[in-house]
Amino acid sequence: MTILIVDDVEINRGLLTEIFKDEYNIIEASNGVEAVEVLNSGARISAMLLDLMMPELDGLGVLREMNRNGMIKSIPVFLITAANSNEMLMEGYNLGAVDIISKPFTPHFLRSRINRVIELYRHRNELESIVAEQVEKLNRMNQSVIETLATVIEFRDCESGEHVKRISGLTNLLLTQVSNTYPEYHLPKAEIEKIALASVLHDVGKIAIPDGILNKPGRLTPEEFEIMKQHTVKGGEILQTIPEIMDAEIYEYSYDIARHHHERWDGRGYPDGLKGDETSIGAQVVAVADVYDALTSERVYKKAFDHDTAVRMIRGGECGTFNEKLLSAFAAVEDKIRRREWLD
Amino acid sequence: MALLEELKGLGSNVDEGLERFMGNAALYERMLRKLPDMIKKTDVAGAFADGELKEAEERAHALKGATGNLSVTPLYEGYTKVVDLLRAGQPDEAKAVYDGMTSVQEQVIACIERGE
Repeated sequence: MTILIVDDVEINRGLLTEIFKDEYNIIEASNGVEAVEVLNSGARISAMLLDLMMPELDGLGVLREMNRNGMIKSIPVFLITAANSNEMLMEGYNLGAVDIISKPFTPHFLRSRINRVIELYRHRNELESIVAEQVEKLNRMNQSVIETLATVIEFRDCESGEHVKRISGLTNLLLTQVSNTYPEYHLPKAEIEKIALASVLHDVGKIAIPDGILNKPGRLTPEEFEIMKQHTVKGGEILQTIPEIMDAEIYEYSYDIARHHHERWDGRGYPDGLKGDETSIGAQVVAVADVYDALTSERVYKKAFDHDTAVRMIRGGECGTFNEKLLSAFAAVEDKIRRREWLD
Repeated sequence: MALLEELKGLGSNVDEGLERFMGNAALYERMLRKLPDMIKKTDVAGAFADGELKEAEERAHALKGATGNLSVTPLYEGYTKVVDLLRAGQPDEAKAVYDGMTSVQEQVIACIERGE
């Protein structure tokens, strides 16, 4: 373990080095600029003893730099000072220093205090990296549970499992375009990723629809269609029973998408008859993606339409009305959609 | 240990200083020998003469830290007073204390420079 000693006075550095050299590796810096160079060199520093008043860059300057690059969170900094009270010390504390060492030093106390804090930080850094690893594992698990669930539904629907992947890819592509053109929808990249993942569960409610209706080769009777429409409500209900298997935000998105991916801009969709932006932008995008994919795929009751026909039908309102902004975004990336570029 | 004995005679708490240097007398002496040069370079008198009170305070502050760590008690106490008075906005009093400690400071410097 290494301690970085930063003081412009050689006498003070020599003394601190003597106090700690038996237990630690010591790096000395004679001003703030040198200290920052050592920090940026990638050396693993367990603690830093930092003088406040120095030429070139003073102690507060070093602390500000460590706040900027985030190192203040993992390296404990002790301020060295001969002063007993002033605003500088207060500012030092505010900038994240853990403790203050006054000159003249008392070696025994100094060692105990610093050893204790180093031990604490070492422990905390170790725990943080374990937690980060676990979160990463949990996220992977989440994703695979969601994808497995989606594949199970597809299977029942006599689809190959490709449908949900296409919906997810198309959702991502369209949302990215919407986000670039219409900042009012507030769609940072991380949210887009979550919505795209949640979109794979949009038809989870189909699990509750009888085979005879779900896989009927011909046109559905009005009664059968009413039952079919229930897949949106059922989807929401199913997700409500298993919220703990996924991340809270992904749960919110997938519930919203499962329930609302058949709403339409004019309020003539189902199940809630939401109008305009009453439907979230995520559910609106999945709705368009779902319609496009249904049109361009072969189904038990129909042949596949080509891209141009599908686009004409969507624009012509044959599959219900959509948000104009969304249709512009669709048009802007139409070439990519035609070339199926969003599938990787 | 002639040097340490002489400094003791001038009022320095060398036992405390030695303890601070973990009993390493050789290092303690080596660091003591750096003090005269530091005092000359950290020109408090010059800062007073130029009316640079902020500068005088910073220089006295640096010397307070170093002499404190070396347990050169008379200088440590003197610089502590100089810093406190300057910080309290009493430059004339600070200057008087500083002038009052120059002779012992010269003795300390001479003692260290003469020491084996």
